[in-house]
Amino acid sequence: MATTFRRSVAAATLAIAAMGFAGLGHAKPVTDKDILGDVESTGDVLTYGLGMQGQRFSPLKLIDKETVKGVVPVWAFSFGGEKQRGQESQPLVVDGVIYVTGSYSRMWAIDAKTGKELWEYNHRLPDGIMPCCDVINRGAAVYGDKVYFGTLDAKVVALNRETGKVVWSKAIEDYKAGYSITNAPLIVNGMVITGIGGGEFGIVGKVYALDAETGESKWTRPVIEGNVGTVDGKPSTMTGTKNASWEGDQWQTGGGGTWLGGTYDPKTGLLFYGTGNPSPWNSWLRPGDNLYSSSRLAIDPKTGEIKWSYQTTPHDGWDFDGVNELISFPLKGADGKTIDAAATADRNGFFFVLDRTTGKFISASPFVSRHDWASGYDDKGRPIYNPDFRPGDPSKGGGADGKGKSVFTAPSFLGGKNWMPMAYSQNTGLFYIPSNEWGMDIWNEPITYRKGAAYLGAGFTIKPLYEDHIGVLRAMDPATGKIKWEYKNRAPLWGGVLTTGGGLVFTGTPEGYIKAFDDETGKELWSFNTGSGVVASPITWDMDGEQYIAVVSGWGGAVPLWGGDVADYVKSFNQGGMLWVFKLPRKS
Amino acid sequence: MITRRALLGHGAGVAALAAGRAWGAAPMDPLQSVAWEDMRALLLGKGPVVFDDRITVAAPMAAEDALQVPFLVDAGALGRVQRILVFADLNPIPLILDFAPGRLAPLIATRFKIQQATPLRAAALDLKGTWHVAGQWVDAMGGGCTTPALAHGEADWTARLGETEARVFDRDGRRRIRLSIRHPMDTGLAAGIPAFFIEKVMVEDAGGILLGELATFEPVSENPLLTFEVPAGIGGDITVTARDNNGNIFRRKVALS
Repeated sequence: MATTFRRSVAAATLAIAAMGFAGLGHAKPVTDKDILGDVESTGDVLTYGLGMQGQRFSPLKLIDKETVKGVVPVWAFSFGGEKQRGQESQPLVVDGVIYVTGSYSRMWAIDAKTGKELWEYNHRLPDGIMPCCDVINRGAAVYGDKVYFGTLDAKVVALNRETGKVVWSKAIEDYKAGYSITNAPLIVNGMVITGIGGGEFGIVGKVYALDAETGESKWTRPVIEGNVGTVDGKPSTMTGTKNASWEGDQWQTGGGGTWLGGTYDPKTGLLFYGTGNPSPWNSWLRPGDNLYSSSRLAIDPKTGEIKWSYQTTPHDGWDFDGVNELISFPLKGADGKTIDAAATADRNGFFFVLDRTTGKFISASPFVSRHDWASGYDDKGRPIYNPDFRPGDPSKGGGADGKGKSVFTAPSFLGGKNWMPMAYSQNTGLFYIPSNEWGMDIWNEPITYRKGAAYLGAGFTIKPLYEDHIGVLRAMDPATGKIKWEYKNRAPLWGGVLTTGGGLVFTGTPEGYIKAFDDETGKELWSFNTGSGVVASPITWDMDGEQYIAVVSGWGGAVPLWGGDVADYVKSFNQGGMLWVFKLPRKS
Repeated sequence: MITRRALLGHGAGVAALAAGRAWGAAPMDPLQSVAWEDMRALLLGKGPVVFDDRITVAAPMAAEDALQVPFLVDAGALGRVQRILVFADLNPIPLILDFAPGRLAPLIATRFKIQQATPLRAAALDLKGTWHVAGQWVDAMGGGCTTPALAHGEADWTARLGETEARVFDRDGRRRIRLSIRHPMDTGLAAGIPAFFIEKVMVEDAGGILLGELATFEPVSENPLLTFEVPAGIGGDITVTARDNNGNIFRRKVALS
């Protein structure tokens, strides 16, 4: 009773004092400058990726290779009720308050010192949402006095940071057509920028820029050529050239979901967004490169225009989304000069380094043990396909009931690496890639588009490649393409990575552990069992002279839904739904 | 009504005695509710309170449907008032609505969900800062606040979300507006269903000037049916804007003539 009484009174006070649902004005506004300085400001975590470039590197070094063994849990916070599964969120820390999103489009504000809940926003979802890959959310964005996140019914919601009340809410697409948002938004120059999911339903992926204050659309940029973008709600320019790499009207349902969001590089002033696989999966139905599916795009945030593109998997036939994060970093060349580069570890098993100013291809190096579909990349950055590993054309027969010939190929459609973000260390200059070793039987079949229905034209089943492990955390040298060390994990890795100035690499496992590794050797230095699978991205910050680590625990995501034979590796994992916070206590 | 008057008799007497002086001390609750002192402390603050039978609170003595208990509150006999709160002492979420009439008549009617037999009260804050309270018991089988909205039995409750209907009745030159908005008004107390309810309704005149505003809370019934009065002398169209706690906005123009 007491709880509900308190809630009612709080609501009454608000209703009269502030009909516009403004806050009390106590929170210090988060500025563009604060956001751009997120990497250096160790006392907060203002961005998804611990910095706009998404390096997931913190200079903090109170916790180092020696002291990490003394790290202990401080508090844990339950996401409550029956909605425990599928927690892929990265928390933010602002002025001693943690903002963390949960499955089923929920968000909490929590006191970072005590774990006390300050407010909860529980979005009322329609029954008909269609997220392909679990009811997850990957995190929030903060700006001014608001905190933003995307919902499974394709809305962007702005909440007052102090009260958790909705300031504005904007449906950017129709969830009934299969659209949903799971990515963390990005804040650039007073705009909330987000991607969208739904590639499995024949949607067209877009990047959306909304006014952070009002939610009004500033621009949209469809990523499939032939579709027209908008500026201030009015039609703007066409993406690419209609039918240059698509036949007929297939570009209208061409996929390319931008479901993982993007990064921003202040140095070049460019947004980097990845695009999903083309629709349908059956590649025989859509001849051509199918631009800009399975690509990385550089977009000018001022205009929404595409500045350059690079397609990692032209004419994809394996569900190799090109959404994985493109991380800006300084590449030291053999001549000692530094190039403004960016790197990404793709679903297709290759690690790419690009010139981030121009998009020019620099290198592609495999980061998994098998990459059957292509032997490598030529000098221009085009894959050298192995045609035997493309599933057969159903019109040529080869399978039962009108299906095409089935092939076994690796990586599987869940990718050499999936959504879980890698990290770059400014200490070692290495990237740390959470990768997986699995293949799939895949076959194609006929399909036609129907609004809101799965648009695949393919069947598949995943198989692990090795008895003793699927997941491998790998340290990749971007200059040489060589793997410096690797750590094998029995279950597939599905959580993000964090690197620190203390020489540590943190990541979680579906077995439930958060672990710390030596960034030079890969030696495991610390671990803690959180009670449920860790499929989220850890963060670190300092508060009152102590360094903290936080990670969300809660098994779920795409693996238990789509993992085929991987079930044997993961079926014993129990559900959770907690935010865990750790620190290295000060010596007294 | 007879029961209500009998119950209120004591309070009305106290109010009459109190006329002309504000009460700082707690007057005795004519409804003898165990929760009255809590309600007063939580909702009415430290200001003076009188029980005042001049406020009409019309509601059934017993709820036929725990999900839809109609009531009407009319504080017109007090003259102008700043706010009218309506609350049910023994509901898990007591506060039903908080009405700032502004230029509208101090009259409001809607329906609420009842969890168990409870006093239903209206408290009107006069211009001098005194709360005038009236009310009655409503008997009920209960469960109205923890039952899922009927909309959730439908295939897609979002399909008609925010649809409105409005009617205007003439009351001696005043116009009584009855407006319904399709909304599940989830309390958050039904298992697995988050709170999802209209929390603000604004009434503006044809020039966009605010006439009055209403804060509504979880106990207001599904598909709220709201009744309010526009005084004579205000013409043209009025616009009613409702906003729920998810930030959805529903807007409806109503022609007064």
